[in-house]
Amino acid sequence: MMALTATPQMASWGQWLGDALGTNAAGANAGNALFGIFLSLVVFLIGQWLFKISKGFFLFQPLFVGMVLGILVLAILAHLFGTDTATFYRSAYLPGGNIIFWFLNPATIAFAIPLYRRNDVVKRFWLEILLSLVIGTSIALVLIYYVARAVGMDNTGIASMLPQAATTAIAMPISAAIGGNPAITAMVCILNSVVIYALGDWLIKLFRISQDPIGAGLGLGTAGHTVGSAKALQLGSIQGSMAAIAVVVISVVVDVVVPIFAMLVGLK
Amino acid sequence: MPTQPNKPVATPAEKPAAPILIQMGIFAAILFVSSLISALFPPELPVPTPVVGLVILYVLLATHVLKLYQVEKLGDFLISLIAFLFVPSGIQVAANLDILRTQGIQIFIVMLLATIILLVCVAYTTKLMIWIRQHVFHGDISVDADVDGDGS
Repeated sequence: MMALTATPQMASWGQWLGDALGTNAAGANAGNALFGIFLSLVVFLIGQWLFKISKGFFLFQPLFVGMVLGILVLAILAHLFGTDTATFYRSAYLPGGNIIFWFLNPATIAFAIPLYRRNDVVKRFWLEILLSLVIGTSIALVLIYYVARAVGMDNTGIASMLPQAATTAIAMPISAAIGGNPAITAMVCILNSVVIYALGDWLIKLFRISQDPIGAGLGLGTAGHTVGSAKALQLGSIQGSMAAIAVVVISVVVDVVVPIFAMLVGLK
Repeated sequence: MPTQPNKPVATPAEKPAAPILIQMGIFAAILFVSSLISALFPPELPVPTPVVGLVILYVLLATHVLKLYQVEKLGDFLISLIAFLFVPSGIQVAANLDILRTQGIQIFIVMLLATIILLVCVAYTTKLMIWIRQHVFHGDISVDADVDGDGS
């Protein structure tokens, strides 16, 4: 490995970079938020470019490329600075990452707009929508429980997997309450979104749900959360509207159903 | 259930879009009120701020307190950014690489299957519900595919 501190001149460069990235004071003080914002934009734009020149190859979805490249860059930089990736992530990337992350708040409430645009569908099908989400998620919970059991997960692992239909902010505390590991749950919730964003179109064709806009929308919103809603919106206004309503209703369903289910199967 | 005429509510905004700062102000006000409401929920029944905010904005639109032209420019812009806004969440996995190293394959398999299970279970249940509406209650299930032409 080529250490950055090989020569005196290099040491000052390392010092200067370290100050900017906040890695010098043993990760105590947060670095410059601009690095996180810049890195996020660059890796996402590379993803968009790869997606375009590969004519839409599913593994080159910008979000997926951005995530993998971003982690790779952080791991390499952490190696160069002689810290571990997690510490480097917290001191150098997180300040900027949090600023972008904050914008998910207004972006999530913005889904009320596509929801309202198809208020005609909501008004006519509200009973079917509610029943489908409650029943569908309950069936899915049982299946997820047995899948997790089948691959040999312990109770902590299973409890971390059950709340993943909800958005991260709900899934994490529920996971902790039923004895799971919130860090795993958060990771799984994010990966759900990435999978739906990359494979959503293909899955919908494979399982022949594309003729049914309400079902496709509700499914995408449940499985892919907010990103699933954006995907659904690309398919059509009904799909987008249904995905938005799914995000809201599923939050409440997971709040109520998952703890009861965990108690029934004796997780805690 | 009352039979609604199959008429979409969405009409192109007749008025020009509200100034962007006003739209931001509306979003900020809704988020602030939502954070206050979200704090009222007990820790065992968490309902995060953005979910409360989505409901509030929908109710305000549905009751015509807010009009589309007052929020849709900023809202559509934010939605178009959603994949980018999730990049930091994706990179957050970097903080937990050690978990992945020990149980990564298990987690990945269950996560992948669970995503497909959730999608398929909910979509097929909806199919069944709509079939019941059509064949048991002889309800009308026709919908306009697209009203504002932003679909593919």
